[in-house]
Amino acid sequence: MNVREPHGILEVTQLEAVINDYISQELVQDATLLPLTNTTSLLETGVLDSLSLLKLVLFVQERFGIVVDDVDLVPEHFANVDAICAYLRSRAEESAGQAGGHG
Amino acid sequence: MAYLLQHLLADSAARQPDRPAVAAGGRSLTYSELDRLSNQVARALLAQGVAPGDRVGVLAVKSAASVVGIFGALKAGACYVPLDANAPAWRLSAIMRDSGIAVVLADLGRASSAAAMADSLPQLRSVIVVGPHWGQEGGGTADAPPPGLAVVNWDAVLAEPDGTVAGDPAIETDLAYILYTSGSTGTPKGVMISHRNSLTFVKWAAASAGLGAGDRVCSPAPLHFDLSVFDVFATCQAAACMVVLPEGAAIFPVRLAERMEKEQISVWYSVPSVLTMLVTYGNLGKFDLSRLRTVIFAGEVFPVKHLRELMAALPHARHLNWYGPTETNVCTAFEVPGGDSSAGPPDPVPIGKACANTDVFAVASDGRRVSRPGEVGELYVRGPSLMQGYWGQPGKTQEVLVPNPFQAAYHETVYRTGDLVSQDEEGNYVYLGRQDGMVKTRGYRVELGEVEAALYGHPAVHEAVVLPIPDELLGSRLRAVISADGAGGLTREEVLDHCRRRLPGYMVPDVVEFCEALPRTSTGKVDRARLAGHGR
Repeated sequence: MNVREPHGILEVTQLEAVINDYISQELVQDATLLPLTNTTSLLETGVLDSLSLLKLVLFVQERFGIVVDDVDLVPEHFANVDAICAYLRSRAEESAGQAGGHG
Repeated sequence: MAYLLQHLLADSAARQPDRPAVAAGGRSLTYSELDRLSNQVARALLAQGVAPGDRVGVLAVKSAASVVGIFGALKAGACYVPLDANAPAWRLSAIMRDSGIAVVLADLGRASSAAAMADSLPQLRSVIVVGPHWGQEGGGTADAPPPGLAVVNWDAVLAEPDGTVAGDPAIETDLAYILYTSGSTGTPKGVMISHRNSLTFVKWAAASAGLGAGDRVCSPAPLHFDLSVFDVFATCQAAACMVVLPEGAAIFPVRLAERMEKEQISVWYSVPSVLTMLVTYGNLGKFDLSRLRTVIFAGEVFPVKHLRELMAALPHARHLNWYGPTETNVCTAFEVPGGDSSAGPPDPVPIGKACANTDVFAVASDGRRVSRPGEVGELYVRGPSLMQGYWGQPGKTQEVLVPNPFQAAYHETVYRTGDLVSQDEEGNYVYLGRQDGMVKTRGYRVELGEVEAALYGHPAVHEAVVLPIPDELLGSRLRAVISADGAGGLTREEVLDHCRRRLPGYMVPDVVEFCEALPRTSTGKVDRARLAGHGR
């Protein structure tokens, strides 16, 4: 709800790079998955477990100033890098819309 | 008379042939189907030359198929070895080599990776695909198997006769399974559990949780984790239904709560961290969990704050704290007083008193048996649930399976847990900590020495020490402090990459730090206390 200044980062494909870098460096345990593609399933490959999901949520909350609600913690939003970015963009638009911002 | 684990299935299939034995994703296997399919797997194993006492690997996620495989292995007289499907290939090969596995039961998703291991593991003779594989069509492995390896597809297994395999292939002191756990010298240790060891726990557990044929029992613990013995076998003893969650279902708390409601779970068994996530992020108020009558947790200490929240969210349920290393099965238990008692859960939650047919006692550092409340000692366990030892490691076994120091008249073996405890005024044991370098993270045992050994395997690592960082949610996180050879060339990424190739994810350090030289005590040992003081 309370997206801070999005640093312009949500506008460009840099977002994918930021998320991919974080997951590759901090969460991937199986080196054979690297380099990680943005469509690699984070669930089938075991990259996400309850600990790494929590780390990822704390990271995006801090990095992008959003709050991930309980009900948003679902596989659809965390299936792969692209899905995470789509979710983050929808949160940014939602909050921009609520703030009466641009389209 | 049930003296082998597979007798539980024979009895339930005779009494309740049409009741669901295993349910997964809206499909279920009845007891009769489970019995017949596992007969077919047993025959397929025998056809591949499996003899009583042979170790059979199970490379599969928890599923109806892997339960079929487990009972099939037992019916063939084999001892099954659950293999962590997510562990690095290096560790899997080490375990398979150590236990001498020649035949692997694999689910459809893992048959190819099992076959691929044959290249580096000449002892591997056969891979048998187990089913049913609901929702996955086809039945073969994609690639041509390496020469010398037989791949038996599920269709071929289904061509075997499904009647009972005549005669019992084992006695109760034979091994039922081997569970690999972290070893302090760098190689995993195989905990050998006999049918009698397991049944001692299973019969007590089914009675203690009050399991009946109407129960729907669920645990997210994978098969290589000893918690799964409860939902696989205690459920079977009661002719209840084992509910299998899809892999990863416990990751998303709201989805987990939804599924628990939909599957009408009545008995739950997991590590506390899963329950902490569930009560913290699961939005439990929105779901009808009135069918959930018993919640059991084990494997680590449940932070009382979160246990209190859980009990408030599930006021109708019993909450049971079970304790026991893999080597002893569950050996003590404590029922947390319900919400109507004014006191609420004691802090810390005790591990309780000995289970039926089990005895525990604490030994002080001077060798005396602890007799007064509050006095600290190491917990010892005796009874028929104690493991047979560590596979192929008589020396390691003798360190923990020792003669009972208080039995002079005859030889009796007791197990030293390495856990420090005291007793409260009611006689309940309270866990205080470890005597050695073992820590728990997400319920998994980690020997710090095994992580250190992996670090020393990197050519640029000169010295390494691994320390636990206490973490309320996870038990511990791991912090590695390294001094490297050469002029600071080694990076954190290189260290992590190296660890990930050798260790399962939960053993890879969370924090990596570098220093010029590790601090030493006056006796020349690495000064862990000083390093811990510098931790976060």
